[in-house]
Amino acid sequence: MLTEKIKTIKTEFDKDSTAVKTPKDLEEFRIKYLSRNGRIAQLFEELKNVPKENKPSVGKDLNELRNILTEKFNNLKSDIEKANISDEQKIDLTLPGTERIIGSKHIIIQTLDEIKSIFKGMGFSVFEGPELESDYYNFEALNFPPDHPARDMQDTFFISEKFLLRTHTSPVQIRVMERFQPPVRAIMPGVVYRNEAINARSYCVFHQVEGLYVDTDVTFAELKGTLVSFAKQFYMDDLKYRFRPSFFPFTEPSAEMDITCFICKGEGCRICKKTGWLEILGCGMVDPNVFSYVNYDSEKYTGYAFGMGIERIALLKYGIDDIRKFYENDLRFLKQF
Amino acid sequence: MKVSLNWLKEYVNLDGISVDEIVDKLTMCGLEVEDYINQQEIYKDFIIASVTKKEKHPNADKLSLCKVNTGNEELQVVCGAPNVAEGQKIIFAPVGSTIPSNGMKLSKIKIRGVESNGMICSEAELEIGSDASGIKVLDNNLKEGTPITEALGLNDVIFEIAITPNRSDALSHIGIARDLSAIFNRKLIYPEIKIVESETPVTDVASVEILDKENCPRYIARVIKDVKIKESPEWLKDKLIKIGLRPINNIVDITNFVMNETGQPLHAFDLDRLAGKKIIVKSTSSKMKFTTLDSKVRELPAGTLMICDAEREVAIAGVMGGENSEVTSQTKNILLESAHFNPSHIRKVAKALGLSTDASYRFERIVDPNLTEFAANRAASLIAEIAGGKVIKGIIDVYPEKINERKVLLRLSRIKKILGYEIPSDKIKNILTKLGLKIISTEDDKLNLSVPTFRPDLEREIDIIEEVARIYGYDQIPAVPKITITLEKKYDESTFTNKVRELSTSFGLYEILNNPLVDEGAAGFGGNPVKLLNPQSVEMSFLRTSLVPGALTVIANNINRGEKNLFFFEIGNVFIKLNEKDIKTFQDFKEEKHLLFILTGKEKEKAWNSSEKEADFFSLKGLVDSFIMKFPLDNVLNDSYYHNGNTNFAFCYTKNADNISLGMGGKLGKNVLKQYDINQDVFCFEFNLDEFQKIKQKQSRYISPIKYPKVVRDFAFVLNKNITYEELLKFIQNNGSYLLQNVKLFDLFESESLGKDLKSMAFTLEYQAEDRTLTEEEVEKEFLRLINLIEKNFNAKLRGN
Repeated sequence: MLTEKIKTIKTEFDKDSTAVKTPKDLEEFRIKYLSRNGRIAQLFEELKNVPKENKPSVGKDLNELRNILTEKFNNLKSDIEKANISDEQKIDLTLPGTERIIGSKHIIIQTLDEIKSIFKGMGFSVFEGPELESDYYNFEALNFPPDHPARDMQDTFFISEKFLLRTHTSPVQIRVMERFQPPVRAIMPGVVYRNEAINARSYCVFHQVEGLYVDTDVTFAELKGTLVSFAKQFYMDDLKYRFRPSFFPFTEPSAEMDITCFICKGEGCRICKKTGWLEILGCGMVDPNVFSYVNYDSEKYTGYAFGMGIERIALLKYGIDDIRKFYENDLRFLKQF
Repeated sequence: MKVSLNWLKEYVNLDGISVDEIVDKLTMCGLEVEDYINQQEIYKDFIIASVTKKEKHPNADKLSLCKVNTGNEELQVVCGAPNVAEGQKIIFAPVGSTIPSNGMKLSKIKIRGVESNGMICSEAELEIGSDASGIKVLDNNLKEGTPITEALGLNDVIFEIAITPNRSDALSHIGIARDLSAIFNRKLIYPEIKIVESETPVTDVASVEILDKENCPRYIARVIKDVKIKESPEWLKDKLIKIGLRPINNIVDITNFVMNETGQPLHAFDLDRLAGKKIIVKSTSSKMKFTTLDSKVRELPAGTLMICDAEREVAIAGVMGGENSEVTSQTKNILLESAHFNPSHIRKVAKALGLSTDASYRFERIVDPNLTEFAANRAASLIAEIAGGKVIKGIIDVYPEKINERKVLLRLSRIKKILGYEIPSDKIKNILTKLGLKIISTEDDKLNLSVPTFRPDLEREIDIIEEVARIYGYDQIPAVPKITITLEKKYDESTFTNKVRELSTSFGLYEILNNPLVDEGAAGFGGNPVKLLNPQSVEMSFLRTSLVPGALTVIANNINRGEKNLFFFEIGNVFIKLNEKDIKTFQDFKEEKHLLFILTGKEKEKAWNSSEKEADFFSLKGLVDSFIMKFPLDNVLNDSYYHNGNTNFAFCYTKNADNISLGMGGKLGKNVLKQYDINQDVFCFEFNLDEFQKIKQKQSRYISPIKYPKVVRDFAFVLNKNITYEELLKFIQNNGSYLLQNVKLFDLFESESLGKDLKSMAFTLEYQAEDRTLTEEEVEKEFLRLINLIEKNFNAKLRGN
């Protein structure tokens, strides 16, 4: 009896399986034969009624049937799945993604941010000051005597006899020292103006970062240490540098800092004018005359100051060939950074 | 300044020191060598040769075909110079040499079909003179095959040195040699002066009077009689040419030579052209015209210090001599001026005249008042030697108040305090002595120093410390590898703008930076503009009052390049004049930090899975609102809308926090866009960031979200189209019960089917209670009540019923 049923099921199973086309059909089919109450399960249920002596052989046949049908079902399942990929799965996944537009900060601002973060890490505050400045802050309090040739070092746009567009960020030094007593450790980024011929290497407007540190024991050696650390963090760790004597009315001694030209690795190229060196900043110990303008005791306090042009640094760092490109704001340029 | 190494070697022995080392040391002591030419290097291939034969070029009228004897061979050379002739000794550039003037490397070529094996050179091609009219013809005694470096003494190194404004002492060969003597610890050798004087005392032949002692503290005159004006000897011409000067005649050349040797500018007058043989130094009392020796008529302002004779002005003191008294080929007798002028006066005059000369450049930077005599004697002895004159006995030296050497006290401990490094005291003393300072006395830590008058920049102890460090070498001072961080309060005044930038970029905006200098048309956009006194051009003669014009230029340029969808922001300062007066104080103008959002084109481009969307006024408004939402403000925000009332905008609005306007924006007017040739809509909003920043932001506090579910209802009304969104919204918010948490407009349209003057507005309402789950009935009741109220109040009709 049971043996016959096994045969019948086998035939019916094969017959039914040809009608299975969709995952839904497949599920119904599974329930019909292989589920907990399916027909196979029912046959196992009937095994109870089989005489004891026949149980082993019928049981074996039943197990065999279950194995065969399970295997057949699995094959069927895999065929159905292959034939029934959903619409979602048919999508051409190589189609382009939907663009999300994230704007960007101007590369000059990004460069400034990088510089700021290095100095903030060394304990510097950040201050700003006005661009339309008085002669007092821009020159006089920085120890540029009236009618002194040092004023020619910075071609100035004048607004009136006593007001001008600041030629450097150094006036913010004076403003900060007027506000605070030492210790003062700050950088002062901002826009500056020079009445200079406009060409690939120079523009009438640019950005600078000024630095100042005044305390009881500030030395030239510390100035060197701080700036070398900055340059290594900003440019490269294995950089070579030199400090060259220079002249700024508001520092004494004054220096310019050069680093090995990273374009030619010091071999000499067009960018470094064949010297192998790139000038990156001006610096020095704050001149006692400057302290006297802000009523600091120059016997008690010493300090250093430095200043660097951001456009120049960005030109070098990113290999941009013309300073005017920073102010053209060509979208194709802006999008690169 | 151009400096010749051979010339320097006359004052300091540099034997055994390489050119590279000299370049390095000069730069590292503050005399920056910007460039240098090593003649041995650039002239190494050029040799003396002779022209043995000259014929016409068969195929060219203006070319000659020459045979050139180079000492060991005869070469065929094509030459284009009109002055080439048989028998000449010339400078020959063989194949493989590089022509200094143009960097061209010679190879064997055919010129008009004829082979040419090198080139016969002109002065200009070799940069040894300015004559480019023909080849340089040399002395016939020179031997073929000799390198020109040897035959013509082209074995010098010419440095181009940048002299900082404080180093007036370095504007001469002796000055530079002095630094080298200190660096290499070698002796500085001054030139020896030998003068044979005539019997007649100088006071018999000339006189000097200074009327303006303030601007002319010292005036020395020497007289040399019976000179012969002629060309200078080769050595003198050569020296001047090497440092870029043009030889004129022996007298003028000597004054130029002595100036470049010592740093003292000199002027030679033709004594016979000086009325009364008298020099009077005085300032002009009124404006006047004066012809300088370059034959130009100069307008002199009143108060210009002039050198005069008994009758008239003969030179602009310290700047340039007059045509009326200059040395000519007829001159017999010379009055030589060696004077000291007030630097700031000379600077003023040179600026007023727009005339910077080698003399004024030096006087502006202070020439040693005690150098005058040495320089006068040096020039007088050279004139006697070269121009064959008789030096008249004695010097006229008007020097009412002698300027003495300055005394400066140096504490050795202070050097260490400033530099953070101890330099041995014997090194310090040696450096100072070599630089010409005298150590008057020493006690413990202190050196009492006397500073020579040629170093007016060394006024204080700190100046001396720099000198020591400069010569000792900045590179000898270690860079300390650690710093102390002091714990005073830290500030970052850029925090606010940093946040603004971060937000702006997150909205998809690209940051632009514009030149704040604009033309008059752009300048008035946001108020009364500040004008520059000395603009570089009319395009940059004002300061901006708004960020909009600069951004419009950027938009126009990008559109021209084919980029039409542009979303920018800019942060920058604008400047507004507050009255019509000249700016004398910070109260006469205001400088504000602004932020501009500017949008044009498609904010969403057409893609395979979405349609495009043009930016519009509501893109701008949404951007502004989303931006402000990120700043928790206590103030009540509101907008004021204007359909007209601002000439720059088609329509616009202001954003206010209580009564403070944070900024304004809208759709830019066609009239504005037309000026920039922009043919697409542009929307912008300009914030006053200073005002924004002033508004106290409240501390953000956490509000726990409602944990009970919300019930959502939609409704749409047909109502009169004059009823604004804002009116209806406020009504809903005020009457919608405390359970109404959120109201959102999701559809708006007008159509003929609705009827004239009507529109449909559809809203989604979200109900939610803080303390319980709302029941459908509860919400339904509130919802229906609201519908009822709206219908009554606005004469509106609920749609879909």
